[in-house]
Amino acid sequence: MKAEDDAPAADDRRSKKNRLGSLAQRLVRVAALWSVIALAVAGFILVGLYQQAGERGFDAQLDQHVKTLLASALPDTPNAVAGAAAAPDVLRLREPDALGEPRFSLPLSGWYWSLEQVAEARTDVLFASASLVGDPLVLPQIGATDELASGFAAGPGSEEVRYLRRRVALGDQSYILSAAIETAGFRADVWEFARNVALTLLVVGIGLVGAIFWQVSFGLKPLTRLQRSLSDVREGRREQVDEDMPRELAPLAVELNALIHSNREVVGRARTHVGNLAHALKTPISVLTNEARTSEGPLAQKVAEQTALMQTQVQHHLERARQAAQRRVIGVACEVEPLTERLARAMSKIYQSRGIDLSHDAPEGLRFLGEAQDLEEMVGNLLDNACKWARSEVAIEVRRQEAEGHGRRWLEVVIEDDGPGLSEEQMREAVKRGRRLDETVPGTGLGLSIVADLAALYGGAVRLERAQRGGLRAKLQLPAADERTLT
Amino acid sequence: MRLLVVEDDADLNRQLVEALVEAGYAVDTASDGEEGHFLGDTEPYDAVVLDLGLPKLDGLSVLENWRRDGRVMPVLVLTARDRWSDKVAGIDAGADDYVSKPFHMEEILARVRALVRRAAGHASNELTCGPLRLDLRTSRVTRDGTAIKLTSHEYRLLTYLMHHQGKVISRTELTEHLYEQDFDRDSNTVEVFVGRLRKKIGADLIETIRGLGYRLGDAREG
Repeated sequence: MKAEDDAPAADDRRSKKNRLGSLAQRLVRVAALWSVIALAVAGFILVGLYQQAGERGFDAQLDQHVKTLLASALPDTPNAVAGAAAAPDVLRLREPDALGEPRFSLPLSGWYWSLEQVAEARTDVLFASASLVGDPLVLPQIGATDELASGFAAGPGSEEVRYLRRRVALGDQSYILSAAIETAGFRADVWEFARNVALTLLVVGIGLVGAIFWQVSFGLKPLTRLQRSLSDVREGRREQVDEDMPRELAPLAVELNALIHSNREVVGRARTHVGNLAHALKTPISVLTNEARTSEGPLAQKVAEQTALMQTQVQHHLERARQAAQRRVIGVACEVEPLTERLARAMSKIYQSRGIDLSHDAPEGLRFLGEAQDLEEMVGNLLDNACKWARSEVAIEVRRQEAEGHGRRWLEVVIEDDGPGLSEEQMREAVKRGRRLDETVPGTGLGLSIVADLAALYGGAVRLERAQRGGLRAKLQLPAADERTLT
Repeated sequence: MRLLVVEDDADLNRQLVEALVEAGYAVDTASDGEEGHFLGDTEPYDAVVLDLGLPKLDGLSVLENWRRDGRVMPVLVLTARDRWSDKVAGIDAGADDYVSKPFHMEEILARVRALVRRAAGHASNELTCGPLRLDLRTSRVTRDGTAIKLTSHEYRLLTYLMHHQGKVISRTELTEHLYEQDFDRDSNTVEVFVGRLRKKIGADLIETIRGLGYRLGDAREG
């Protein structure tokens, strides 16, 4: 029954594990997300800074042009300027020359300048670059109090330009000098830069995620080790979990070992208890039974009757107690060969008077994944049965079975005799599980259903078939432990 | 045939002794492991019935100690623990057979009979010596088909001699195997019993070997 319960429980565990995801995945996911965000922000900041630096470069260049413009627009005589304060109408700005930059002269070259005079509410364009070919250079208004303004605007060819305007007061006159340069090259430059930054950061990001993977897998290595250690215990390769773990895991390993130990102890105690109980109950029943049989009269008869009943009851409840004590303890394994050899020797002795020829063949080093007592009980019952019914020969053979699916190893114990055997119907009945509790006649297939129960507990099975020499052949299939040596 | 019963349950001990005495054995008893071990170590028993759950010294240890000290008498183990691991542990410690509790007394008698017989090298439950036949199951003795009535001591003497026929058995050996430990051996000397037995089964079967002891055998064959 228990063996069948195991499968859904394992499924449940698996689905729970899926719901929570992997620890490593969680760590990697969070770290990767954080890296991506940080890198993206860094990229934006970098590009922004680059752009700002570019704009400052533009503005410096434009300012230079504006200043050159102003200088070349002023009349030659310095005293004329000095005198201008006294006689404003004397001051006349002249048309500036090429400013040392031929593109200001090329039509719609993207390089423009203009010089406006502010007169009350409006501004009059005094001079403008040849490149404007008569079009006005429409730029955002400069604030009434600002001396300097810069920004982006659309040029006459509707191309984007960077402009700089400067307000200059000459005498009582106010002028606005503007210069604008198209930004197409600059934009391309920024894009180029942004692409490079993105590419670089992408490479850095990939490197980071790789580093995170490595870090997580390195950091979680002890967890994997703990898991492997535990599975070693399950498979019977080790007695207990490795306690040599990092500080965070060591207490867990110690607790696990305590759990494994207590599990073994509880089962051991339960079994001892059943044994003691059997001893405590069966001795008095023996006394009563024999006392009643040697006496006569109604009382003796009554006692005989009642003790027979008691005996069945005690047997029944001891069986129950034993079943309750039968539990798979993880990480227990025992070698098969010495055990079957011992049993075969004991059987030869017990059935000495019957002159049974008992042959035993088992490979060395093969281990059963379970309690020695249980294996002894199964093989003992089968062997006892065989010896009881055999005419002259009983053979016990133990062999390895090739792993099939899930990589689980199995072993098979084959016991056959040359006795009368069983009919198909009897064979089916004999290995019916859980029947032994209702069984009242001892020694009639009782042992076989105990074997079937125990085998099922370990996920194995017992099959009966007709032996070549005529008798019964019992095949007991049980899980085998890994054959690596115990550490 | 002299037996030792080691069983701590007083009632079961008494029942075993009663049944075994009735079957014609001289029986000593012990109620704990230490006493049982001492008796088995010092007295020559033909078989021992040993309970495994004993106070002071458990049955398995008693058995192991005997075997280690070279005591080879057949031992029938009684155990309430009927797992194979317990049974095999018993057999491994040197037991010759086991009976699980609760048991019927007939079972014990049959097993003890078989053990004693096997130890003496006999295959059958019926011992014969010339015209004499002794059925161990029914305790019936016949000579040429005629039943002979024997007292329990005479029966014990004859069984021992029959089991060891052809061999010279000393008076001491007979004394040791015929009487319980606390039996007053002086008032019932072996000579007296041998004399009575000769009268009943025929003088020709028991030969006196001067200075050595007695030998049972078919004089006509020898």
